[in-house]
Amino acid sequence: MDKKKLVILAALLLFLVVLVIIYLNLGGTIKPRPTQFISSSQDESESEKQNESTTIILFFPSEHDSLLHREEREIIPESSLALHAKRIISELLNGSQRGFLSPIPPGTRLRELYITKEGVAYVDFSREIMDKHLSGSSAEMSTIYSVVNSLSYNIKTIKKVFILIDGGEKKTLGGHINLTSPFQPIYDIVAK
Amino acid sequence: MNVFGRGFDSRRLHNAASIIEINDRDKLYKLRRGIPKLTLAFSVIFLFLSIFSAPQSQPILKISAQDYEKYSRVTIQSDLPLSSSVEQSDTFVFVKIRANTPFRIQRESFQSRFVKSVGWSRGSGSYMLTINTEHENFSCNSFKVQNPPRLIIEIHPNRGQDPPINETNRNMTNPQTVDPECIVIDPGHGGLEVGAKGKFGTLEKDITLAIGMKLAEIARQTRASNVVLTRDRDVDISLEDRSAIANNNKATVFISIHVNGSYRKGAAGPETYFLSKDATDEESRRLAFMENNSKEMENNIQAEDEDLIKMILWDMAQTAYLKQSSQLAEAIQSELNLLWGTRNRGIKQAPFKVLTGVACPAVLVEVAFLSNPQEERKLLTEEYQRKIAQAVYDGLAKFLRDNSR
Repeated sequence: MDKKKLVILAALLLFLVVLVIIYLNLGGTIKPRPTQFISSSQDESESEKQNESTTIILFFPSEHDSLLHREEREIIPESSLALHAKRIISELLNGSQRGFLSPIPPGTRLRELYITKEGVAYVDFSREIMDKHLSGSSAEMSTIYSVVNSLSYNIKTIKKVFILIDGGEKKTLGGHINLTSPFQPIYDIVAK
Repeated sequence: MNVFGRGFDSRRLHNAASIIEINDRDKLYKLRRGIPKLTLAFSVIFLFLSIFSAPQSQPILKISAQDYEKYSRVTIQSDLPLSSSVEQSDTFVFVKIRANTPFRIQRESFQSRFVKSVGWSRGSGSYMLTINTEHENFSCNSFKVQNPPRLIIEIHPNRGQDPPINETNRNMTNPQTVDPECIVIDPGHGGLEVGAKGKFGTLEKDITLAIGMKLAEIARQTRASNVVLTRDRDVDISLEDRSAIANNNKATVFISIHVNGSYRKGAAGPETYFLSKDATDEESRRLAFMENNSKEMENNIQAEDEDLIKMILWDMAQTAYLKQSSQLAEAIQSELNLLWGTRNRGIKQAPFKVLTGVACPAVLVEVAFLSNPQEERKLLTEEYQRKIAQAVYDGLAKFLRDNSR
């Protein structure tokens, strides 16, 4: 048989296999519920004028105890609540500047963040947050509540935080804490 | 129906074909000879594709059976809402499921005392499932649960007439005094779900199983009660199924055994958790409760009142369980503190998935930290596993003593 034809066939097969793999990967993910989201543009007017920096407080776990610790940071306020919330999460993903532990596995990205009218923030992380997670209840607790506390503490309209992974609802990060309902912040686990 | 399922774009195939044509235009005569071969290749690829994609597009009907102490349960699960009728005749239960689209039937292998086999056939617009019990004297009841849609059929072999009329009330007010004591022990994780990992490669699932088995052994030797393990080998069991095992056995207490993992290398010591009130997944708890009690309620309450009553009963039960759960956690934690020589770290509340569906006092015990090498080494020894099991048992026994008065 012709060599060329063989090559073409092989390439075709490869293409199809890739297609199948892409297809299989796309299937199966659950889309987040389509509640009415406040779009980024709607609340622009709120904080447009301020140009000077504001202080946000992030919550990180520490090597010394099982509590979360505050870390202040100056940022230029964003034009909308959703953007501000995204900024807080990206600051959290960047890790501590004061030597606290990083609560979120390296390589994790923030995919999307919405805030609903009811004050529920939907935070959608890439799948590294689950796949690379050091399983264990304490580790899961510090990951979840560093996100939940950091968001609710700085943005008062956020009453609850729903964590999504890869665009969908997941049951847990590693078999412990329930991700199928939204979290309220817990400040008992924050160092005084 | 599109055999390739959603997401497959047939245009891309044509594009690929036309590229080949352009590249080979000058050798068209060669290609023409090759056409039958190409078509053959294409059809092979098509076949290959359809094998891969068909399962994705077709709704699945999953049939499984499981034994409980006094009955067997057949669960029919689907991606679509089920419309069905159940009929009992001779040694068979016939389940007719209406279906507009064909299902892919998935039968899980099972061994059951009362369910000998489950067969199926397809009629026009419906499926007929045949459950053979090989028992002539049995009763069966069925009910539906949502999320995912499931039809549940319970096969009870007849053992004289003792229909539990007031079962709901019995459950609600005081589980210990009427129902026989049942301790459900849940060794965390299992199968592919390994849980936390230690520095020396120890897996959480192995330690939880070892301790859980020892705890069950101690409980069986010491008490005249029913002791149920959610798993007794290395298998994957979903968190929902673990709570369902507790509810189906009408558990007096539920104890989930785990080993902790932390980002802090220095994290050490035991911790006992119970569900936090505001963090309880009320919806799922309510669901589990309804699944448990729907049989009794169906008979005598109107549909719309039913939900309201269930909700009220559920909220009452939940508050009672939370208080007892905290007592149980306290009792176990203080025994573990004695064992490890830790000062009281106190009990903690967190929304653990496995606890959210359990309709009885329920705790999750983190016996020690696997992320701590010293504790990992201890956890690997039989001696410590036994000591931990004993400490958890002592706490449990104290709780049961205090609550039986």
